[in-house]
Amino acid sequence: MSFMDRMLKIDRRIIYLILAVVVILPMLFNSPLSVRVMDPVQKLFNAVESIPPDKAMIVNFEYDPRDVPELQPMALSILRHAFTRRIKILVLCLYVQPLGMAQSALTQITEEFNKNAKSNADSILYGRDHVFLGWQPPPLVPILGMGESIANVYKTDYYGNQTDTLPLMKHVKNYRNVGLLISLSSSDVPRYWIEYAQNRFGLKVGAGVTAVSGSEFYSYLQTGQFSGLMVGMKGAAEYEEMIAKELHIKARRKASESMPSLTYAHLVMIAFIIIGNIGYFARRRKK
Amino acid sequence: MNLSFDPWVWIGALLTLAIFSFLYRDNPFYKVAEHIFVGVSNGYAVTFYYHLILVPTLFNPLFRGRFILIIPFIIGALYFTRFIPKISWLVRIPIGILMGYGIGASIPATIQAYIIKQVQGTILTPYNFQRWHAGSTGIVWSIILFLGVICVVSYFYFSREQKGILKVTSRIGIFFVMIGFGAAFGYTVMARVSLLIGRLQFLLGTWLGIIK
Repeated sequence: MSFMDRMLKIDRRIIYLILAVVVILPMLFNSPLSVRVMDPVQKLFNAVESIPPDKAMIVNFEYDPRDVPELQPMALSILRHAFTRRIKILVLCLYVQPLGMAQSALTQITEEFNKNAKSNADSILYGRDHVFLGWQPPPLVPILGMGESIANVYKTDYYGNQTDTLPLMKHVKNYRNVGLLISLSSSDVPRYWIEYAQNRFGLKVGAGVTAVSGSEFYSYLQTGQFSGLMVGMKGAAEYEEMIAKELHIKARRKASESMPSLTYAHLVMIAFIIIGNIGYFARRRKK
Repeated sequence: MNLSFDPWVWIGALLTLAIFSFLYRDNPFYKVAEHIFVGVSNGYAVTFYYHLILVPTLFNPLFRGRFILIIPFIIGALYFTRFIPKISWLVRIPIGILMGYGIGASIPATIQAYIIKQVQGTILTPYNFQRWHAGSTGIVWSIILFLGVICVVSYFYFSREQKGILKVTSRIGIFFVMIGFGAAFGYTVMARVSLLIGRLQFLLGTWLGIIK
């Protein structure tokens, strides 16, 4: 058996093993990789920066535990950015599964900010600075209903409080009081927001999506339907880079820490694809 | 090394390893983990839907006297007529309502968001050149996009034999389609490796405490 034949018949378990080694080794030598911020993420950052002071931002969580490595770092960075700029936030989900993800991200970031707060004004307070609206099925009802009245759709928040009694909700009545919506999703949900909320009410929409669905969303960025876009772990690392550089936020950068593993895994995949193709063409030539 | 003593972390770690064991070959540990996953997911969904949809939006208001809710309750319950062959035709009522509502709401929005806006984004105008924010190269990208759309559409035009100019454009269209597939595949690799990184961070960090 020639070298090329042997290369074409590498046991898949050996490929898995090599992949595991190149992913694990960089983790042991923890060194976040500085990434170059690309235009779609820069646009999203600028869109958050340009939210007027009298308007709030909606963060829509639409992912489950499976997608935490890609989307949770995006969520944490967006929340850090918003709280640093004192942008008021409404958090909501259109499906059940993401509720836990949303609560965990909110708890982590509010605790992080409140730990260093010196006064009540510095603190991030529930009801004043952010509200967790929870979940209201089916998706179309809250998306369309919030254009008329948010409090009518979400009569109570996630914790059971009457929504219209919360101080923040006295100023945020409907989409007219929302400067930007960011949908962090592993599915088609960002498109629903464009389809219904943007078309009908003119809501600005940004998105953070998993890499596997990334290529489907770029066309909406090019047309201006998305104000900005983060794709996969790389997109999350770029946003981490932005808030570290522009806002001097010193927090753990989980996506950036994973960049070396991701890069080496990609190089291994490219190497195997090249080996496979060389072997294929060499064998075809022989025939 | 700072091994976790949390039993839930141990359960998560052992189930992760059981699922990973499939990479070697199919085995009973994998089967057990797979069945637990399916069972827990379904149990979680049923419980959640009962407590967060049926109880607060149907049963509670109904028992408080909002009898109008009997109508949607009956319409919804018609889904179960599928199990009774004699009256299984009744299932068409809720399906029809749902389809009518869904299609009525989505057609105008879909045309606006996915067709009109996308076509607008392809048309060569000074506004579209500026959209790219790429300085002088914005024009080049806009023209490539325009040509790409025309060529790919011509590739999928089957009403005439593909010869002459149509053959040339459809051949170019294939290149654009392949670039699209390549981008989608590249992103899929990135997504799957990201998931692997997430699991390994859990195993090496949360469980074994080897990494931070």
